[in-house]
Amino acid sequence: MTGRGGAKKSRAAGPAPPTTTLVLDNGADTIKAGFVSDDKSDGKPRIIPNCLARDRHRKIYVGSELEKCKDFSELAFRRPVEKGFIVNWEAQKEIWDREFFDDKAAQKCDPSETRLILTEQPNSLPSLQTHCDQIVFEEYGFASYYRGLAPVFNAYRDIQSIFRTPQSTIDSPAQVILLIDSGYSHTTVTPILQGRPLHPAIRRLDVGGKLMTNYLTRLLSVRHFDMRNEPYIVNEMKEAVCYTSLDFKGDLEKTWKGTRGEKREDYLSGAGIAKDYVLPDSHTRFHGVVRDYEPGVSARARKGIISTEDVLTLRNERFVVPELLFNPSDIGIRQPGIADLVKQSLLAVPIGLWPGLLANIVVVGGNSLSEGFCQRLQTEILKRFPDECRVRVARPEDPIISTWLGAANFAKHEHASRLEVTKQEYEEHGAAWVARKFAAGLGLDP
Amino acid sequence: MNNFGVIEVASQKTKNAPGWAYVPDTGLTPAAAAALQPLNRKRAARDKANVGAPDLTARQDAKIRKDLEALDKDSHRDAQIPIPPKAGGTRAQNKHTPNVRKILQSQKTFANHLDDYQAFLALAESNPQLAAQVNKPTPTTTTTTTATTTARNSPAPSTITTATTEEIITPDSSEPFPPRPDTPTSLEPSTTATPTTTEQPKLQSYPPDGTILPAYNRPPPTPHPGDDDPLLVSHVPPFPTDEELRALITAPPLSYLEARAQWTEEEEGRYPARRFCEVCGYWGRVKCIKCGARVCALECLEAHREECLVRYGL
Repeated sequence: MTGRGGAKKSRAAGPAPPTTTLVLDNGADTIKAGFVSDDKSDGKPRIIPNCLARDRHRKIYVGSELEKCKDFSELAFRRPVEKGFIVNWEAQKEIWDREFFDDKAAQKCDPSETRLILTEQPNSLPSLQTHCDQIVFEEYGFASYYRGLAPVFNAYRDIQSIFRTPQSTIDSPAQVILLIDSGYSHTTVTPILQGRPLHPAIRRLDVGGKLMTNYLTRLLSVRHFDMRNEPYIVNEMKEAVCYTSLDFKGDLEKTWKGTRGEKREDYLSGAGIAKDYVLPDSHTRFHGVVRDYEPGVSARARKGIISTEDVLTLRNERFVVPELLFNPSDIGIRQPGIADLVKQSLLAVPIGLWPGLLANIVVVGGNSLSEGFCQRLQTEILKRFPDECRVRVARPEDPIISTWLGAANFAKHEHASRLEVTKQEYEEHGAAWVARKFAAGLGLDP
Repeated sequence: MNNFGVIEVASQKTKNAPGWAYVPDTGLTPAAAAALQPLNRKRAARDKANVGAPDLTARQDAKIRKDLEALDKDSHRDAQIPIPPKAGGTRAQNKHTPNVRKILQSQKTFANHLDDYQAFLALAESNPQLAAQVNKPTPTTTTTTTATTTARNSPAPSTITTATTEEIITPDSSEPFPPRPDTPTSLEPSTTATPTTTEQPKLQSYPPDGTILPAYNRPPPTPHPGDDDPLLVSHVPPFPTDEELRALITAPPLSYLEARAQWTEEEEGRYPARRFCEVCGYWGRVKCIKCGARVCALECLEAHREECLVRYGL
């Protein structure tokens, strides 16, 4: 009943389809936004912080205004996106308005002549999806609109080039990939077949960048300074120093100070793991600096001999934090780690698909930038599957904007015109129909 | 607006009221924490037996819960950041449609929405008819989705499968796989033989040759002298049938809580949880007698004891 025939007919009767597409990857931490049209497109999206921030002088920054902020100490955030889904539309609308629809907006567009492609996280709540559709059409009045699962858009990228496979033809969408998206709110595993997500096999781990930053904050507050009001600075530190350990036990051993009175060689020399982190002082230095560990520097700083800078020596904090993705039970979260997540997801699909999915694992999202992440993931997955399965884990060069790039390719693909809903159709059939159409997706037709 | 003899259903009201909602009062632990950390009685019982002091584990459990809740928060203190007034102030403010106004005024958090959804699911389970009525204003739940997806797709699979079963079960899926010594890039149905394609003029199935994943028809990898070596033969599992794939592709999405990965019963206790020193982060090899917290050695134990007394007022 919602066949393509009907959609085509009504589209033919309506106004000419829009030529420009606004592709919006509306993440919890940052919005990735850019325009795509037939002849030209933005090569890269603009990355906009998706938050309202308030600094310690009580000045408020909305979205990309945060660039103007110099002093990041005691920066507090309000985020419209919660758990990966747009919840607070009051704040989200304000950010969108300032970035896209105001007269002086940086990426100004006229919604009535634009198509919107918006990403959403898998397994959303129906009420939130309806809110989203209603805002898009009733408040902004986009000419046409598609809301799709963020992981799935990655299938429209040239996946084999990410794996560096020599290949003559490019499949778009890719035939089989297993996409792991580890973002700010959570980590999801999505098997994708010909651009169609396999819904029964999508799994989520509630560990994301936010939880890891908060965990690092707690560790630092217990061991060094109280950093609980400095989320921005801690996040910067996390991105700069944290890495995924390939030998957790060994690294932990090297960073142990030993029992009372013991002088352990590895601890004193730092063993290549310890790093000094110079905190920003908000006068001369606004960003933290990583330095190689220098024995005694932080001790002297603590005694007040060099009082010009605050230095933290980070040891096991560096790898314990990303470890949460692999062993959430370390802090008492009763969920399997990311490798078991992959296993649980694959148990929901026929075994015949395993070789294809395991050989094409793509990792996107900011957490995958931590050094050693792909290697660790690959070894952990190898342990859980038969020897004969070939496991390849690859991370695109730009894991944060990968979803946007995929969505930009999708906008030019013929699938986009099949899936989109025009404003006229929305007015004719209502929000429930739109939600059903998006949920049904591509279906079985080619 | 005649309410005589009509009892309103609570969940209906929560959906329609703008700006506020009935939310179950769960005391100190918000529902979000319950979603993040559901109680597992079995595990609690087992831990209890290990320690022998039920009071302590309950307290530790509460502590872990509280800690996780704190980790899940966006900021340490609840930031109430108002939206700053516009410099220009040119935008017309009062042209929202009723739906939009309701959404913009809503102060519900994700936990509230999740509660509403679960209440609705519970209602749907106990009283499907009532749920269908409640559902009408926002009919986008999984139940309706299932119904429509199946309704939409039911004609297609039934006709297609009956017509094309012969071609779908191509040699690759019924016979054992021809041995492929090396599977270099893509491990799709690994036959080099192209399937027999018969025209299907009327039915538009996916793709033209009738299989969802077409057989490998690109040039095979360059032959290698070891190709025929029986020792190098690798086993490839049988490829799923087309019906399986169709069912998989058209399956409806899971709900938010269903998609959350969880340990299965037998996996849960397979490996003991790793314990770490609460002071320095090394392995937690020693337990504090008073509170049961783990520390690594004497030095950290002393550091811990200093605040252990304060923290619990013992």
